[in-house]
Amino acid sequence: MIVDYIVSALGLGALYALLTIGVALLFGVLGLMNFAYGEIILAAAFALYFFRDAPWLFAVAMAVVFAVAVALLSERLAFHPLRGADPVTLMIASFAVSLALQSVARMTVLPRAQGVPPQDFLAQRVDILGARVSVRDLVTLVLCGLVLVAVAYLMGRTSLGVQLRAAAENFQMAESLGVKGNRVIASAFVIAGVLAAVGAVVLVTRQGAVSAQMGLQPMLIGVIGAVLGGMSSLRGAALGGFILGVGTATLEALLPSDLIAFRDAFLFTALIGVLVVRPQGLLSGSKVRVS
Amino acid sequence: MDLVIEDLYVQYGSSVMAVQGASLVVRDGELVALIGQNGAGKSTLMKAVMGWVSPHAGSIAIGGTSVRDRAFSHLDRGVAFVPEDRGIFSSLTVGENLRLGAVRRRDKKAVAEDIERELERFPVLRRYWGRGASLLSGGEQQQLAIARAMMLNPRLLLLDEPTLGLAPIIVDLIFDVIEQLRAEGVTILLVEQNAVRSIEVADRTYVVQAPGRIIGSGTAAELGASAAVVDYLGFEPTDLGRAAS
Repeated sequence: MIVDYIVSALGLGALYALLTIGVALLFGVLGLMNFAYGEIILAAAFALYFFRDAPWLFAVAMAVVFAVAVALLSERLAFHPLRGADPVTLMIASFAVSLALQSVARMTVLPRAQGVPPQDFLAQRVDILGARVSVRDLVTLVLCGLVLVAVAYLMGRTSLGVQLRAAAENFQMAESLGVKGNRVIASAFVIAGVLAAVGAVVLVTRQGAVSAQMGLQPMLIGVIGAVLGGMSSLRGAALGGFILGVGTATLEALLPSDLIAFRDAFLFTALIGVLVVRPQGLLSGSKVRVS
Repeated sequence: MDLVIEDLYVQYGSSVMAVQGASLVVRDGELVALIGQNGAGKSTLMKAVMGWVSPHAGSIAIGGTSVRDRAFSHLDRGVAFVPEDRGIFSSLTVGENLRLGAVRRRDKKAVAEDIERELERFPVLRRYWGRGASLLSGGEQQQLAIARAMMLNPRLLLLDEPTLGLAPIIVDLIFDVIEQLRAEGVTILLVEQNAVRSIEVADRTYVVQAPGRIIGSGTAAELGASAAVVDYLGFEPTDLGRAAS
């Protein structure tokens, strides 16, 4: 029971951390609170549905391709022309992109929810320290954990990561030193797309279905986790998402069954309490570029 | 490389005029100071040169090309800027900050040599190489900011209040470095509130009074001959300056 809980909680924490990093990265680099992030997840989820009969790894690869393509297209068509606009303008634009993509999905390929049967191996359980642990939870933990390690390596040890961190902190200064703004922004959208795709793989696996509205909840998780951790710090955002995920899993494990329906009420009450004490988030770093 | 500013007006919003008809010339190899009190419009003028704010009227040309020209690139022209807030990236280490100044360069050997040159110039940076830049003192951050700008191998260096809020011993160090850079052939526009030290090191000095109006310019002796400048500065600058020393 405890092993099962630990795997589930860490897996959900890692998943939520990925989602928050995707949101916080774009906010840091572009000043963009991207409410269309959910539709990037939707694009990946649709690929999983479209290629549901293909080998699973191929479908996952296509999910990444779809998510990155939608992320880059939204940047090029919607956000690039608004470069330098104030954050409210960017936010409203992201609402528009979100609604447009969701409507297109509903009118064309996803008028109603479509089932995506999980892979057989994901439905199995394995023995770990005497506990029967869900393979799905293990895969969630390993996949999200590996992607988090990859993101940490990219951001901490590569030139692109240094440029992304610099641009997230002071875009104008970074550009004046030779950081290529367009390249950094495109890279941020690609990374956000990859993270959204991984998130979609896990969500579709857990939910067994794809719908036009499915991006809303993970997008909100990303935003809330980022606010909790501190929008100005990617590390903080990841921590916020992780805490949110672990908190969700913990409440699911501890709450009596008749209170499970109120899980989010408990969670967000605690979140409000944290923000009252630390309105800047748990790991607020330096100033945030907002224009 | 020459910097020529002619009749520049910069306005914030619809009413606040930050720079009003400023004209200024920095010739190749010169160290020119722009002094004035807080809020006189010095930093705004610097940002206009960098293209960070758009002038209302007037022109700014570097090496004969307008900075508003679509094809103009400050980096390609060899312009480096150290802003008033130093622009240090607090989430990066000292080493990462310094290397960022060479992010466009592919000549690894020359970059390594230039890093070594800056570490010789500012030994404190070698000591704190792997440390987070946010942990540096103000003076150390200023040294990092100048070293990072020098990684661009600039032909024109814009320094905005590099000694603001620093201890006297660090102020001396920064002014020594500025003189050293001038001797190395870097053209420098220095914005400062420290009028005495600026006039001492500069070839020529412009005096700016709020709202962004230049009230006098020239060598220390020429400034001393202007009653308006002497009245504004509150001291007689004639005996300061390179010519006097």
